[in-house]
Amino acid sequence: MIPNLFGITLITFILFNILVSDPATRFAGKYATAERVETIRAELGLDRSLPEQYLFYLKQIVTLDFGRSWATKQKITTMINDGFSATLCLTIPPFIASIIFSLGLAMFASYHRGSFFDKGVVVVCLALMSISSLVYILFLQNVLAFQWGLFPVSGWDPSWAGRWEYLVLPWIILFVLLLGTDILVYRSVILDEAYQDYVRTARAKGVSNWAVYTKHILKNALIPVITMVVIGMPFLITGSFLIESFFGIPGLGGMMLKALNESDFPVIKAMTVIISIAYMFFNLLADIVYSLVDPRIRLS
Amino acid sequence: MRMMCSKVHRILQRMMVTKGLALSIAASLVVFSLTSGCTKKVDDTDTTINIPLRANVKGLDPMHANDMYSSMVIQNIYEGLLEYHYLKRPYELKPALAEAMPTISADGLTYTFKIRKGVLFHDNPAFPDGKGREVTAEDFIYSWKRLADPRNASEGFWIFDGKIKGLNEWADAIKNKTGNFEDPIEGLQALDKYTLVIKLTQPYYQLQYVLAMPFAVVVPKEAVEKYGGEFINNPVGTGPFMLEKSSDWVRNSKITLKRNPNWRGETYPTEGEPGDKEAGLLEDAGKPLEIAEKLVFIELTEDQPRWQNFMKGNLEWVEIPNDNFDAAVKDDKLVPELAAKGMKLQVSNAIEVVYNAFNMRDPLLGKNKDLRRAFSLAMNIPLRIQRFYNGRAIPAQGPIPPGLDGYDPNFKNPWVQFDREKAKEYLAKAGFPEGKGLPEFTFETLADSKSRQITEFEVQNWAAIGIKVKISTNTWPQFQEKIKNGQAQLFGLAWGADYPDAQNFLQLFYSKNVSPGPNDSGYQNPEYDKLYEAALKLPPGKERTELYKKMRDILVEDMPWMFSLHRLNYRLTQGWLRNFKYNEMTYNIYKYVRVDPKKRAELKPKL
Amino acid sequence: MNAQANAQIETSHELLAPTQVNLNRRNSLWWDAYRRLKRDKVAIVSFWVIVAYVVMAILAKLGILFPDVALSVGDQYMPFSLEHPFGTDIQGRDVLARAVHGAATALSVGFIASSIALVIGITLGALAGYYGGKVDALIVWLYTTIDSIPYILLIPSLTFVLGRGLVNVYIAVGVTSWVTLCRLVRAEFMKHKSRDYVLAAEALGAGDGRKIFRHILPNVAHIGFVQFGLGFVSAIKFEVILSYLGVGVDPTTPSWGIMLDDAKLELSRPFWGNLTAATLFMFFLVLAFNLFNDALRESLDPKLKNK
Repeated sequence: MIPNLFGITLITFILFNILVSDPATRFAGKYATAERVETIRAELGLDRSLPEQYLFYLKQIVTLDFGRSWATKQKITTMINDGFSATLCLTIPPFIASIIFSLGLAMFASYHRGSFFDKGVVVVCLALMSISSLVYILFLQNVLAFQWGLFPVSGWDPSWAGRWEYLVLPWIILFVLLLGTDILVYRSVILDEAYQDYVRTARAKGVSNWAVYTKHILKNALIPVITMVVIGMPFLITGSFLIESFFGIPGLGGMMLKALNESDFPVIKAMTVIISIAYMFFNLLADIVYSLVDPRIRLS
Repeated sequence: MRMMCSKVHRILQRMMVTKGLALSIAASLVVFSLTSGCTKKVDDTDTTINIPLRANVKGLDPMHANDMYSSMVIQNIYEGLLEYHYLKRPYELKPALAEAMPTISADGLTYTFKIRKGVLFHDNPAFPDGKGREVTAEDFIYSWKRLADPRNASEGFWIFDGKIKGLNEWADAIKNKTGNFEDPIEGLQALDKYTLVIKLTQPYYQLQYVLAMPFAVVVPKEAVEKYGGEFINNPVGTGPFMLEKSSDWVRNSKITLKRNPNWRGETYPTEGEPGDKEAGLLEDAGKPLEIAEKLVFIELTEDQPRWQNFMKGNLEWVEIPNDNFDAAVKDDKLVPELAAKGMKLQVSNAIEVVYNAFNMRDPLLGKNKDLRRAFSLAMNIPLRIQRFYNGRAIPAQGPIPPGLDGYDPNFKNPWVQFDREKAKEYLAKAGFPEGKGLPEFTFETLADSKSRQITEFEVQNWAAIGIKVKISTNTWPQFQEKIKNGQAQLFGLAWGADYPDAQNFLQLFYSKNVSPGPNDSGYQNPEYDKLYEAALKLPPGKERTELYKKMRDILVEDMPWMFSLHRLNYRLTQGWLRNFKYNEMTYNIYKYVRVDPKKRAELKPKL
Repeated sequence: MNAQANAQIETSHELLAPTQVNLNRRNSLWWDAYRRLKRDKVAIVSFWVIVAYVVMAILAKLGILFPDVALSVGDQYMPFSLEHPFGTDIQGRDVLARAVHGAATALSVGFIASSIALVIGITLGALAGYYGGKVDALIVWLYTTIDSIPYILLIPSLTFVLGRGLVNVYIAVGVTSWVTLCRLVRAEFMKHKSRDYVLAAEALGAGDGRKIFRHILPNVAHIGFVQFGLGFVSAIKFEVILSYLGVGVDPTTPSWGIMLDDAKLELSRPFWGNLTAATLFMFFLVLAFNLFNDALRESLDPKLKNK
């Protein structure tokens, strides 16, 4: 894990400290003078040598103090904390809802494999996945929120009571976006299990189909399913930056998008590192869960 | 038996699946019925004003008030010595925290200000007992020193840079660690508690204007020292509104300012410009200002959500986006459906110029005047105005916008009148008949949709005479860097006035202002420089205006820019909004504006 | 995936010369797949849809189909008509022409980016799986690191650094999507390198290169095929989002993403041309690709031989 962490910091450092051009000019404003640009460069620490800058960057990560955003001068750690609450409220409900719904539907479809329903589900899911997420957002926001007035067009209420009404339409959109992939993946996982020898054995022994599905298949399918779920968890954090920016939800995804638009390197670097660490953490978690559930697997 | 069980199980399974579906539908129905369908009752005593912001507020420290949106909030929390008169046009200054306009010495180098007595800073834990103390002349010196302190890298230093006696030396001393912040500056002195004297190094006729800018407001030392880097989130000013607690600012969402109970008070202006009375803007003339309980700034970066929120009554005014313009305005009047809802239309002309610049350092563009002329003649500005601005703009003939001395409504710049044939002629004259032999140019623009679309249009215009141009989109910082580093061959930008003096536009061509200064095209002309320096020494008047016109003529002839247009801003206001007159020079208008809460309770549910 | 098939074939071909083994073996797996695909109506329709898009894109690029895509052919926002089935956009350009050229852009991104990913993935996967040891460790470190950075952050950051433009989109997407393929190829190579047929080849004097290219690689090729298809679809979707955000292709190249960006503001006019055209064109291409890829994957799966 440590060497990977090192690798991630190296990549972000290369991208944002070495490959990009000198950012000092932008801080000096409309009426800059060469002198002030120099001063700013020193303030930003850009006049130090590259190894020095890299060490400083590592220190920031370890102490979780990423300094201040170039665009807003706010403390980055505070920005991230603030964004977490909104993003998690946005992503967790559709995430969970999609898992439950998709698993159920996938089980049902694979149970009737080959039937019209099964084929229909596959085609519908593929169709859903063939439409860009942009289209869902544009279309649904325009029709459901603006034209039909069912939901607020955008906005946010930071209070715990008030935020839910602004989340409903984004939830719906996220749910639909997640459905397509989830159903197909779970379906294929379940099908993989369905054709295993032990299933044939169980059926031969006279175990009912229902029992086969719940007791045997589902249990074994849970391993890859859990792995998928855990691997998908970083999504909870990056949120969907398009949805956040379109609906004015002040979360991490929107923050990332804004940082990209404003060339706010400290924020981009901080977010990349944090999310990557979270990602690695969740992968590790998946491996642990995997090994717990299946005693044959041992952590290497 | 087994068959029966499996059938039952099958049904149960089906039910389980559909249960999930049913649950989610039920849940959403519940939520949606709770939130939308039922009309919320509107409080008829609520005086809150809701304002849209098109971009996020970055921070509330005046020394970094470099962007428009942060300035919009800052100017309602903080005050300076001078401010713009709310209603009068052309724009005029009047005293704010100063008791009266300054007395100026005969040589124009010394300005003496008397500060109003009894002006209090907002109550804040930074002060002992949490009570805001009185503002003194020293506070202004402290505030302005912050701008000059090189450690702050303030974007606002330019307003005083090189103009105040001893200021630059003081800043250098700090940089070289040979001086302290507390060291006195000859040009900024507090003769007594309420008297401030400014000594200049040279005549600076724009001084009073810059004192009305957000950079020059007064901040209390106690708050800066207490909050340090977090001062950007804990503003403490003297203005009619205050940020009561830092949680009132929800990042990237909204800022809620509350009325300052200790504000010095003011009366509504008694004069304006012709037409104000008829528009109802003098109803409250002479009355003491009633400040709204709350002033809420709502950040909505996308056009459509902003428009839709206005249509639902959640915002008191909105700029009409291009795509909704035809549905809102016909023949320059508000459409009946919207007028019936009580809404009103307001038009103001932006003091700005939108332009395309040539990089005069480019070996081809910088030296070949005929080529530049070909570019300019090929541009169909009237069609551009119609397509992208719904006709809401005036073609620009020069760098000076309408409303300022030096602007001549009868002047016509021969090189911006669209003429494709003439453009082709000049292209041939430049040595590239029909574009043969001409390399492909690169036009730098911003990555947002509108900029991109306008650039696509311009590129089409040039392609029609044989000039090939590639579009390169950038984020704002990348864009700035390319320009400052002289790497942008062609680029499009707009310059909005910092103050209503044409010098603010003409300085963009002064050779001493080349990058990293604001002279982005890199234009250098000694003849022009001489006129510019001479004009700096003259007070506003006929003589100066003549010089301005001469400078304009040189720029028209040399064409470092293709002048495009000056925009007109069309805004819609709600029927319950009173005293709203948009001011293009300042944002501290919300002390004058008020909401009629009964009217709002009546009209809003009907929207 | 093809473990069982390998097992079956290995035993019977152990005694034959390596070259003959490979030819026959490749044939029987691919022939099986081909036969199965021929029978699948959905796969056939999808295939022809893809071909239609490719032909359309090539014609567009050659300037035969809709050569006037960049020109203003009428007023802006003209309604749908026979002459302009999706109307005209804000610049007066024919939206149908833009959508067709957008298909060419999408296909080129899909093809080139996936190819880049294919080459990198297979090369590194082969090297890692075959040589093991330090080489393997290094490559695993490399792809785990890249994999840990979500695409959503990495790709825009890359295009940021590289700049806008079609070529940079190719690179950015290609350089970030080779990981899954690499993993799979590596696993396969690790399994195969100690298989009998390879040992047999070595006994006959085959060097590393020959073993990798002539023996193991062909047995792994089908994985590449399927991943290529998946990568193609992702690449297209990415290009759309990147172009929408303004960090994708430069605006002089028509792209569905830019059309959607235009649509964002136009819906309130209302003008639905850009949204409808971009969505429909993308929908059929991606759906066809997904269906075909799905069918391909199933046909190459010997476990389902007896379906």
